[in-house]
Amino acid sequence: MIFFKGNSLAIVGFIIISIILFVAIFAHFLSPYDPNYIDINSILLPPSLDHLMGTDGLGRDVLSRMLYGARISLFVGFVAVGIATLIGIILGSIAGFYGGWLDSVIMRLVDIMLSIPTFFLILAVIAFLTPSIWNIMIVIGLTSWMGVTRLVRAEFLSLRQRDYVLASIVMGTSNGKIITKHLLPNSLTPIIVSSVLGIASAVLIESGLSFLGLGVQAPTASWGNILTDGKEYIQFAWWLSLFPGLAILVTVLGYNLLGEGLRDVLDPKNK
Amino acid sequence: MKQIFLLILLLIFLISCSNNNSEVIDYKDNNLSNGGVLINAMSAEPSNLISMIAGDSASSAIASKIFNSLIRYDENLNFTSDIAESWKISKNQKTITFKIKKGLEWSDGVPLTSADVYFTWKLITNPNTRTPYGADYTLVSEAKIPDEHTFIVTYDQNYAPALDTWASLEILPKHILENEDINSTFFSRKPIGSNYYKLGDWISGQQVNLIKSDNGVLGAPHIDKLTSRIIPDTSSQFLELSAGNIDLMNINPIQFKRVFPAKPKLKRRTELYKEMGNGYTYLGFNLNKKPFDDKRVRQAINYAINKEEVIKGVLLGLGEPISSPYKPGTRWNNPSLKPYAYSPKKALSLLKEAGYKMSGNNFLVKEGKALEFEIITNQNKQREMTAVLIQRRLKEIGIKVSIRVIEWASFVNRFIKTGNFDVVVLGWSLSLDPDQYNIWHSSQQGPGQFNFVGYHNEKVDLLLEKGRRELDLDKREKIYHEFSKHLLEDSPIVYLYAGYGLTAVNKRIKGIKMPAPPAGIYHNSYNWYIPKSLRRNEFTDK
Repeated sequence: MIFFKGNSLAIVGFIIISIILFVAIFAHFLSPYDPNYIDINSILLPPSLDHLMGTDGLGRDVLSRMLYGARISLFVGFVAVGIATLIGIILGSIAGFYGGWLDSVIMRLVDIMLSIPTFFLILAVIAFLTPSIWNIMIVIGLTSWMGVTRLVRAEFLSLRQRDYVLASIVMGTSNGKIITKHLLPNSLTPIIVSSVLGIASAVLIESGLSFLGLGVQAPTASWGNILTDGKEYIQFAWWLSLFPGLAILVTVLGYNLLGEGLRDVLDPKNK
Repeated sequence: MKQIFLLILLLIFLISCSNNNSEVIDYKDNNLSNGGVLINAMSAEPSNLISMIAGDSASSAIASKIFNSLIRYDENLNFTSDIAESWKISKNQKTITFKIKKGLEWSDGVPLTSADVYFTWKLITNPNTRTPYGADYTLVSEAKIPDEHTFIVTYDQNYAPALDTWASLEILPKHILENEDINSTFFSRKPIGSNYYKLGDWISGQQVNLIKSDNGVLGAPHIDKLTSRIIPDTSSQFLELSAGNIDLMNINPIQFKRVFPAKPKLKRRTELYKEMGNGYTYLGFNLNKKPFDDKRVRQAINYAINKEEVIKGVLLGLGEPISSPYKPGTRWNNPSLKPYAYSPKKALSLLKEAGYKMSGNNFLVKEGKALEFEIITNQNKQREMTAVLIQRRLKEIGIKVSIRVIEWASFVNRFIKTGNFDVVVLGWSLSLDPDQYNIWHSSQQGPGQFNFVGYHNEKVDLLLEKGRRELDLDKREKIYHEFSKHLLEDSPIVYLYAGYGLTAVNKRIKGIKMPAPPAGIYHNSYNWYIPKSLRRNEFTDK
């Protein structure tokens, strides 16, 4: 908290993300029912004390499904962004450090990838694979590394000209050591900020895919597929659309606030 | 601040406007009169208004109002006259002579004669015509037109579904299509027909307008104009119905049981119709794959599925369990057959008999392999929910099931046509004739053919062959009752339910029969009418 002093929006973001992380990790203890327990005698009940967020079309408790859904959403977010960041760092380092034709090839590759609308690329790829949570994470990761690559390359280009890097080169330090010991630690700030913002977009993409039926498969709950279920009953079962919709909104907002807060705090130019 | 205030005022004004207009109407007016517009909603756009080429339900719904067949079904599903005023079956039962009504005209004024019928038969049996329905008509060994009003067909062998096939072939105009390529002709978007409506205009992605034709074969209808609005999303359709912008739509069980009771205003101006549909939903096994080649495994799974629960949970009770592949209540349905009752105990003992043992972690195992499979289905909420319910019940007796929902086109092309699946949840909608040779005969297992589960039973093959040669209805009934018995015993599919068709119609539409006759509520749609006082206000060019 002290870390973000004065930046109240970032604190809000931090609190939101902490709560959601807590809920996702302890979903097992927090949820009042088994998220997949079907009770056809209590179909589409409105929110009440028994079911705080009501029940869905098969009589399953929406609150429990939301809690377990948080797990899926966050898990997908973290792993996908992890993959993207890893690829981004590797390609960005190579391009930024070595320059020359390697740089040109990698940056043109980035340009090509950026010219394809990511969501439709993901849709096309997922349609050919078995839709599963692992495939979704990998595909999202493999299609969203371009931003990180550009950031890392840009940082490396400027850092490479610094005296301490030149000194290391003159001393004959190996390239790998220069990259890992000097360049990477000094370019961490933009990487962290863009990863946090990246999680927000990964959560959105996962929800979108599940909403279209290409994401996490039944009966596993995810916010996206609870929302699809809700679409069928939107005229009277508002709780099925409202809660997952709000959860997605709040989570994405939380990550964006946190990401921007981190940038303000970590970037010395803003101080 | 002032602007916000004005905005709120405007909103209040708008809300009060929309509430007022529906209240004053008294729906008791029953006076028959000609005129008015009926607006309905359809989920998909027709692909092509020539039914033999199109093959989708949206297309045939529109085309059936524009074209006629030789004969048609009446409300009790007996054959009655359409283009043909009478028909006679010869003593040896191999020749049918149709007498065509005199003085018929296409909507452009050209006479409709036996030449058009002959032309249509030639067209559908032409191998260059891309139609899935050709096979039934190639069984005709000889077709003759001795004069303008007679059409004679002869079959090599008795063919029981013959009359049904002539009731579903829509006759096309020879004078327009003679020199056209039926597969690509512009006629499919601008058809000239002979029925009580003709195409007014067709705005792609929006609506199809049919207007009354005065020289139709069955006379003129009461309602002047039919507008079919294309609204793919059923929730949007429902909003349009609530707003009074459409008169008629198919609804789902949730809307029928939950939404309408909660909206008294909407209920007051809407009539709900419920009728048994001619189709069913099933769980089908891929019989070419282990372990589904073992009858005991199939029967065990059948016992382990609680069909009552599926009907209650998915259809909110608006369905019936079935035990033969025919509509309940028709003569083809064998009343002595009962569905497999839900019994996990029987299921387990059958599986033990088949060699499965319960392993330490509560899953059934045989020779080191767990009993597990994937259920695939298309993006249909009811089928998906059904699969989830089945998954739960099978897990309880130790069978591991995963579910995969696939978009329709790739579902059919990549999984069904290639036989690349374990188990499917799917539905069959059936024709009115009991012949199911295409679905169950062992010769129909090629790629793209309908026996994709790979069912093979010599006794059933024989019965199916016999059934389509037998013209005596009572004998035919016995054959299909016997066939259903074998099918139930072999359990190549698990019958899940036959759902009710549910329709919501604005009360301004009169003349709909209730309770629905066997042919369904639409069978007399040309007799529907809208009393003058209940019509929408409309701009006309007259």
